[in-house]
Amino acid sequence: MFKKLFLAAIALVLAGTALAQAPIKIGVNLELSGRFATIGNSTLQGIQAAQQQMSEVLGRPVELSICDNQTTPEGSKACANRFIDEKVVGVLGAISSTMSIAAAQNLQDAGIIMISTSSTNPATTQIGDHIFRVAYTDDFQGKVAAEYAFNTLKARKAAIFRQQDDDYSFGLAGFFQDEFQKLGGQTIMLNFVANTVDFSSQINDARGFKPDVVYYSGFCAEGATLIPQLKQQGFNMQFLGADASDDSQCPTSGGAAFNGYLFTGFGGPEVLTGAAKQRAEDFHKFFNIAFPKATDFNGFTLAGADSYNVLVQAIKDAGTDNEAAVLKSLSNLKDYPGVSGSITFAGTDGTPKDRTIAFFEYLVPGQNGAAWSKISKFGLSTAAASQ
Amino acid sequence: MPWGWIIGLGLVALVIFRIYYVVHVLKARDLAFFVGAMLQSLQLGSLYALIALGYTMVYGIIRLINFAHGDVFMVGAFLAYFLFSRSPYALPWALIWAALSAWGVMFVLNLWRGSFRDPIVIGGGVVAMAGLTYALSATTVNWLLAMLLSMLITGVLGVVIDRVAYRPLRGAPRISLLITAIAMSFFLENTGLLVFTRNQTPFRPPTEWTQYLQFPVFGSTVYTTRLIFLIPLATALLVVALTLFVTRTRLGKAMRASAQDPETAQMMGVNVDRVIATTFLLGSMLAAAGGVLWGLNFGSLNQPAVMGILPGIKAFAAAVIGGIGSLPGAVIGGVLLGFLENFVTALFPRTQHFAGLTEYKDTFAFILLILVLLLRPSGIVGEDLSEKV
Repeated sequence: MFKKLFLAAIALVLAGTALAQAPIKIGVNLELSGRFATIGNSTLQGIQAAQQQMSEVLGRPVELSICDNQTTPEGSKACANRFIDEKVVGVLGAISSTMSIAAAQNLQDAGIIMISTSSTNPATTQIGDHIFRVAYTDDFQGKVAAEYAFNTLKARKAAIFRQQDDDYSFGLAGFFQDEFQKLGGQTIMLNFVANTVDFSSQINDARGFKPDVVYYSGFCAEGATLIPQLKQQGFNMQFLGADASDDSQCPTSGGAAFNGYLFTGFGGPEVLTGAAKQRAEDFHKFFNIAFPKATDFNGFTLAGADSYNVLVQAIKDAGTDNEAAVLKSLSNLKDYPGVSGSITFAGTDGTPKDRTIAFFEYLVPGQNGAAWSKISKFGLSTAAASQ
Repeated sequence: MPWGWIIGLGLVALVIFRIYYVVHVLKARDLAFFVGAMLQSLQLGSLYALIALGYTMVYGIIRLINFAHGDVFMVGAFLAYFLFSRSPYALPWALIWAALSAWGVMFVLNLWRGSFRDPIVIGGGVVAMAGLTYALSATTVNWLLAMLLSMLITGVLGVVIDRVAYRPLRGAPRISLLITAIAMSFFLENTGLLVFTRNQTPFRPPTEWTQYLQFPVFGSTVYTTRLIFLIPLATALLVVALTLFVTRTRLGKAMRASAQDPETAQMMGVNVDRVIATTFLLGSMLAAAGGVLWGLNFGSLNQPAVMGILPGIKAFAAAVIGGIGSLPGAVIGGVLLGFLENFVTALFPRTQHFAGLTEYKDTFAFILLILVLLLRPSGIVGEDLSEKV
């Protein structure tokens, strides 16, 4: 009898550990190849570093299921469907708004949580209650850039280059234009599509307009060609970009033309304040040990790390990996101490309340961009701005 | 053909009237702007012309629309990039590059001597091999040498493509050949993607030619770069060399004969396979030159899978517009296309009530293509069918 009980107890313990060891699966949908490959890999490194810091939750290991969407909306949808089949708890990514929006509807319908790392188009999180993000939104980003151009740079005529076939670039350019015109400036909108190399017609249009500032709302894949062409054609005014320019591809491919290029981006340790600054610095140190060969530590890295952190925290708060419970705790998340500042999802549409946006400047000495560096000028908090 | 002249001069008159209207009535642009746009159009048009020549030559002889030609152009540009940015090379790499270039040198000498066993051809290959191995392992290659070497290697690539993909299909239905050309295009694109996945490759060799240039015209300033001299001049030089080759040499005569009637030419003792290989060699060399100038012009190369597609298709349109199969037709079509893209958008600038035509510039090539195919399927200069090469 005693022996039987003993065996039963052992069996129970074994069963328990077996259950406890079953990993929690998190999907990662990123642009790891194609046009946004560099920022995709920065984000992935951020997620992996965060996973190394916190590799277990509820006593179970966390397993990342990584899917490369190849920077295509179709690829992003295919990744979403793969995660639905794999029954993951939540999906991190995608980075860009176009890919995030492509995946969001499928995941929302399947009832899977999605946390986009850097999608800044306001429409992304409005797709449904399962869709969250770590970044700020473009209405804010466009507004601060327009205010900076108008008030600090004293520009009155802005030429805006936007990528017509991208949700992020198209939306952001519109917000910049609206705010700049509201302040009393004039704008001209110049459109291009993905993979454009010949910008001569757009440059001709811009020359006729005689702008004081050039606002570029697209990605480095085209910007690395556009900005040198503008410089070559004698455009010597200030260039202003957005968070998609926070990509080493811009200075390395664009070279000296990016010297003095200003852009808004996801705030890093230099501009965060208080405890958040300490956390970001600690994470940077950890990151350098985890990825000694990484060339970039930027806003995409931080956003990737925090998307992982908040999802794991929500699973911890829920005490289970049950979908509905995790969603509930994620929607009620308050003041989570993230490496990119505190994150609060309670009472929002999935966009955290207090985000820090920073102004950066590229310094590119010499003709080729090998020796580039990036300095943070100052940071602005979305919470302070909305008060 | 008086109607052709009437239509042509009428269009020119319309353009001049429109310039007058934009400058003096709308006051949206000044005259210097149109001078700048004209120079820019000539620059872009020359590039299209260089690529279009390859399409037209191949079509003239084997009636094949060589869809891989745009990707040959891409390979040429990337080879030059590797040559000037990665040199000096370690010895094994220098040997490989030199061997490929020496092979190209032998092909070129072979055009003159007519046999690979000729001592001058072999000697030239050996000398090129030794000299280039030394040069590539010891010094940094400048853009001009990189362009010449890239032309040689790309020429070899063209011949190899013909040998492995098209020659086995001689006499097969033309549709099989076309599908093979598309397959070859995919092959080159995806191989390029395997080797090189970067989005934008900076193509900025140290040269004075890409420097910014501005000069006053009509009381205002024209903005351009020094390439405005280089690109049309280089194109003109290559086109003249090609024309001389086709009209003045024995092999050129054989090419014209094969274009007219390959079977009869063969009966008269022309080695048609050799003529076709020569066509691919010359067409690919021109495409490589176009690729290098293209890179200099835009300062960067797109990712290999997409770089050749749009320029290739536009150059193909240019060849058809000019009259496919005709050498002057390809040049005229290319330059016309350059003008259409840059000059027509400049003629219709953005005003308060009109968004401008800038965003539609890529469609002009194809609108004109459709018009030409509807109204004059043989192309602008394509009436004389006996001139096809």
